[in-house]
Amino acid sequence: MHELSLADAIVSALVKKCEEEGWGAVRVVNLRVGALRQVFPEMLRFAFETLVKDTPLSGAALEIEEVPLSWRCGECGSVWAEETGVCPLCGSFRRETVSGMELEIQSVEVEAP
Amino acid sequence: MNRIITLQQSVMAEDEKFASSIRERNARMGLLMVNIIGSPGSGKTTLLERTALNAGLAMAVIEGDLATDRDAERMARLDVPVVQINTRGGCHLEANVVERAMDSLPLDTLDVLFVENVGNLVCPAEFDLGEDFKVAVLSAPEGADKPLKYPFLFASAKAVLLTKTDLLPHLSFDTGMFDADVERLNPGVPVFRTDSISGAGIAEWVDFIRFKAREKRANVR
Repeated sequence: MHELSLADAIVSALVKKCEEEGWGAVRVVNLRVGALRQVFPEMLRFAFETLVKDTPLSGAALEIEEVPLSWRCGECGSVWAEETGVCPLCGSFRRETVSGMELEIQSVEVEAP
Repeated sequence: MNRIITLQQSVMAEDEKFASSIRERNARMGLLMVNIIGSPGSGKTTLLERTALNAGLAMAVIEGDLATDRDAERMARLDVPVVQINTRGGCHLEANVVERAMDSLPLDTLDVLFVENVGNLVCPAEFDLGEDFKVAVLSAPEGADKPLKYPFLFASAKAVLLTKTDLLPHLSFDTGMFDADVERLNPGVPVFRTDSISGAGIAEWVDFIRFKAREKRANVR
């Protein structure tokens, strides 16, 4: 269900951009989705294809780049990609997310108006 | 000739504006806002009833449900200011509807605002409502395997509650595995074991909320 909300947010934001920027038809939408985002690409694509009908995005391809999860240790600075929160090098609990939380429209490919 | 335009724009940019405005307002007022997430029937509303009776805090609740105002009625019976949002099939709350709901609550008299999200372990965890933190609620009958099956919620929550612990003797709930999995996903997160019928564990949970509310108030500049 939340893929539909996300697709709706993507389409609404880009339709608005089309009007503001005077773009021609949008051919490709490049999306970056982090591994922690629980997004199912096929469902997102299906929702997107349904919602773009009769908009300037009609027929646009949705390209989804999946960004893997990685953490950085707040103590020793090492970076790891396991889905465990504890630093494998020094055992610290202090960590920050380096990647995996992305959910962004990276770029679009548009025709000249 | 096609051209490529770089945007690097968050998908939820529009809704994130509402979340930011909620967060800024709460910071100015020193109001703690907690987003309660768990399955339907996990005991979220019962926990909030217990919290209202025991916390000694000025609290209000925003209830998110697909339909009915039954949860709101339960909170209103305890004289807790409450707003019911019916999502009519929507699986989660978003910040824009929460901000509208907040307008009808006496925010300046409150210590803590709870948002009881739509019963669901998946989507609600994805959407920022401008809260201070999320709390994951899992009832013992749902099974000890749930943290790893729904890792996003359990990894991002600032507290985890295991409810209905009075049923543990009747279940094959592996508490060792549950604790280990939660620790693996979210090292150091406090885990509260509660039984809302006897009240066991409620004092520890309420102390945690009271501490967070005081901390929030103390940080008002």
